[in-house]
Amino acid sequence: MSDIADRVKQVVAKQLKVDIDRVIDTAEFVKDLGAESLQSIELVASFEDEFDIEMDEDAALSVKNVGDAVTFIEKAIEEQHG
Amino acid sequence: MKIALFEDNQFDALYPLTYLRPVFELRCGSTLLYEKVAAAYPDADLAFFCRDYLAKVFAKRVDGQRVNDLSTVSDTDVLFLNGRILAISDVVPADGKEEVGTKGDAIVYLRATKETVAKAGGATIDELLSNLKASLPNVECEATLIDYPWDLINNNPKAIEHDFTASGKKGIEGSFHEMSCVYGNQDAVYVAPTAEVHPMVVIDTKEGPVTIDEGATIFPHTRIEGPCYIGRDSQIVGGKIREGCSIGPVCRIGGEVEESIVHGYSNKYHDGFLGHAYVCEWVNLGGVTTNSDLKNDYGTVQIYMRGELTDSGSTKVGSFIGDHTKTSIGTFLNTGTVLGCMCNILASGGVLPLKYMPSFTWFFNNKLSKGFGMRQMIDTAKIVTSRRKRELTEDDVAVLEHVNKLTKAERRAMIKKSREQAS
Repeated sequence: MSDIADRVKQVVAKQLKVDIDRVIDTAEFVKDLGAESLQSIELVASFEDEFDIEMDEDAALSVKNVGDAVTFIEKAIEEQHG
Repeated sequence: MKIALFEDNQFDALYPLTYLRPVFELRCGSTLLYEKVAAAYPDADLAFFCRDYLAKVFAKRVDGQRVNDLSTVSDTDVLFLNGRILAISDVVPADGKEEVGTKGDAIVYLRATKETVAKAGGATIDELLSNLKASLPNVECEATLIDYPWDLINNNPKAIEHDFTASGKKGIEGSFHEMSCVYGNQDAVYVAPTAEVHPMVVIDTKEGPVTIDEGATIFPHTRIEGPCYIGRDSQIVGGKIREGCSIGPVCRIGGEVEESIVHGYSNKYHDGFLGHAYVCEWVNLGGVTTNSDLKNDYGTVQIYMRGELTDSGSTKVGSFIGDHTKTSIGTFLNTGTVLGCMCNILASGGVLPLKYMPSFTWFFNNKLSKGFGMRQMIDTAKIVTSRRKRELTEDDVAVLEHVNKLTKAERRAMIKKSREQAS
């Protein structure tokens, strides 16, 4: 697991108060991990804090599962930090 | 004769009220600032100059008149008037010497002939005014200019009185239940033909006039204290509307409201106090939302303006709430709180610990956040406007997107600071 993926999963587990073992790539934030709308907003903000990136809210909130979130964040880091 | 209203560089001291409208579209009394100018100069045509991004939407609201078009001031003598002018007294004469009336650094008025305007030239209204100011004699003058949001509130009672007298309308022409009463001067009330006053309503005109405009409904157990204006198709759903209030069109108001202006199309349906406040359009104040308008030490109120806390010099200052902002049930706003456009407050008990929310931010869990993105906020706005049979057009969306970009840096900085303080 990449460092970024590991950190994403730590943030998810902490924000959604779920066991880290449940935070797998295919886990959907809403369906599988029970994220409510405000938690989703907090999750995006936490990712931004953790990785010092800026995420477009519309795009970020459209990401459905953990694996896609890792990809999204990796791309944002690449674009914003080179 | 042409009267040309223009915005000067004070428009941002009136944020958030002027993000989505030119300064001369602000409400004070029963009418908007530019409507007062139109009434003061009934024989003149009006021309309008405002920030470019507002021109298209404002033009629609004035029946397609040309806005920001210098050709509208090229074919006749012109009286340029500062759009912040409150034209209820000391009205500048349309005719007179060519001169520039100033108040401090502000141009209050500028009177010039067609030939002088042509000679001055300028590619923009700012250039034209600057050239004219440099070429004409400048004289200090007295005028009421709206410098800050609280000036609208402080001038509201006398503006309501002025507008009542100027309208020439008085008496009860609409439906007025026999179990309601006018307490005080019977000539100081006007109930429009299609307005309706239900039973158990007291309209107290002892301190000033009260207007209930067309289509408005006053429901039982309401006391309205003049001076007061209730706008077209608005509903007062029980409560205390204390002195000095202007409620614009299509509002739903309940609870207690004092010395406040609700611009239009906004709701404060439930209990809660609103005082010394200006509420823009499409705002919903959730149940028991309350703002403070007086500090416990009775000192002057600090208010966030142009990026910093500024002493208002006033002891009674409430809240200034931008268009499309929503507060949850149980929101308590501190004295002198400024909420930008499209903010969302999800209260969790206690007074909001922020005196300022940048536009397009959310407040919940004790910190600022970006909330949902523009797409969802616009979708919500479309639902809200459609409920009142109004359309949020592409041009309206363009204005909101412009303001979103305009406020991006400030929003980013304040969210970051808020999150650092909360962690």
